[in-house]
Amino acid sequence: MQAEEFYQTLGVDRSALERLGFNPYYRPLGGLCRGRPRSEGEVCYDLASNDYLGLASEPRIHQAMASALQDYGSSMCGTPIASGYARILGELEGELARFVGLEAAVVFPSCYQANLALFPAIAARADVILVDHYAHASLAQGIKAVGCKIKPFLHNDLEHLEKQLAAATGFRQSFVVTESVFSTEGSVAPLGAIVELCRRYEAIPVVDDSHGLGVLGQRGRGILEAQALCDFEGIYTASLGKALANVGGVIAGKRALIEALRYSCPGLIYSTALPPVCAAGSLRALEIIGQDFGALGRALWQNHRQLAEKLEARGFELQKGAAPIAAIRCPSPEQTIALAKEFRRQRILTTPFVPPSVPPGQGVLRLIVGAKLDGPALGQLLSALEGVAAGILEGAIPA
Amino acid sequence: MKIEEKVLSIIRANTEEKEGVTLVSDLRKELRLDSFGTLMVINALEDAYGITVDEADFTQVNRVSDVVALLRSKYHCT
Repeated sequence: MQAEEFYQTLGVDRSALERLGFNPYYRPLGGLCRGRPRSEGEVCYDLASNDYLGLASEPRIHQAMASALQDYGSSMCGTPIASGYARILGELEGELARFVGLEAAVVFPSCYQANLALFPAIAARADVILVDHYAHASLAQGIKAVGCKIKPFLHNDLEHLEKQLAAATGFRQSFVVTESVFSTEGSVAPLGAIVELCRRYEAIPVVDDSHGLGVLGQRGRGILEAQALCDFEGIYTASLGKALANVGGVIAGKRALIEALRYSCPGLIYSTALPPVCAAGSLRALEIIGQDFGALGRALWQNHRQLAEKLEARGFELQKGAAPIAAIRCPSPEQTIALAKEFRRQRILTTPFVPPSVPPGQGVLRLIVGAKLDGPALGQLLSALEGVAAGILEGAIPA
Repeated sequence: MKIEEKVLSIIRANTEEKEGVTLVSDLRKELRLDSFGTLMVINALEDAYGITVDEADFTQVNRVSDVVALLRSKYHCT
């Protein structure tokens, strides 16, 4: 194939976006500014980001990062196994392990990278991996990279999972992979029951708590706290780019696992370490959550309840979930984009999910209000929602 | 049990969209099978019939009846 022909095969079909006159992806944005970012000259409402607690605009975090910039510079310019292991990165790993209640932790440059690197490092072709149908792309890609038997199970369906576990015989090791919060649904995994099934069938549970860390539990410590799993013997992963308002990913669990990853996980040892400035930000975020989660958590849930009530009053049907995520299921990908456009018309930024992020033929519009809007701003948002027409999901798509 | 009934029963038990699964249901448009959804159905068919299904075969099938035809013709299931 000639180069020109090859590059033509990489084309993106934008016809639906062009027909709708709106492309919600890669739109330039100013800073999050406590939930009021600037987008194309307008001050908007941020219901799109994962800044659950509003910590992206927290001055104490900015100060910690500025101080680390002075101390360490912009980057360690090395892999963690060599010259990239800044002292503050080690401190963050120790604090993350304590925060979620596990023996040890290791930090990657992103959670996508952590999930992608984890499975080829711990599993083999002789193993079987059972995975929730709606697991995140990073988990799916990491699992596929192993080359072992993959057995998906119906979303959050314990009976289906048990059937799969009972039938999974003759493998060296079984793993059961799930997320704590499924972010396109807002649903929360019955992790306690999954862990119990894993004990019975000698499987290792793996949970991605990206949307639970800093969100779930009385103290914001995530799914393990929320479901009282104080003796979790599985593998825990999470993003530092959501409630912690930074970047990076963590894998936590038994000390033996973390030591093995430190020395034998290519996705960690051949990748430039997380910059110290980011480690400092996450470290400070954990401290703030430890001190202030009472008030932040209350605001997070109060704001979410008010948003959900307003959306339902406007005629939107929300997916039933136990997380502070408002997810509107849309009948088609095109209607999902049209609805995002309708919200944007009222200066409300949302996240539209279309296939392959969701199953074929449908879409989900996700809104996360979080704790970031104060009383007056929330009131203004609720007024702006009065102008959003739910009818767009019923009739034909406007040109 | 006839193969049609058995396949319908397997698909109903292994898809998120359980309502209204019939022989003419479209696997992707109506049953919304994505890659893991398809794999779930393939695994269940393999367990039920003791066969190993080539995943590439499933790119050629659209409806439940096509699955039945595939099992009959290529895997000699009855």
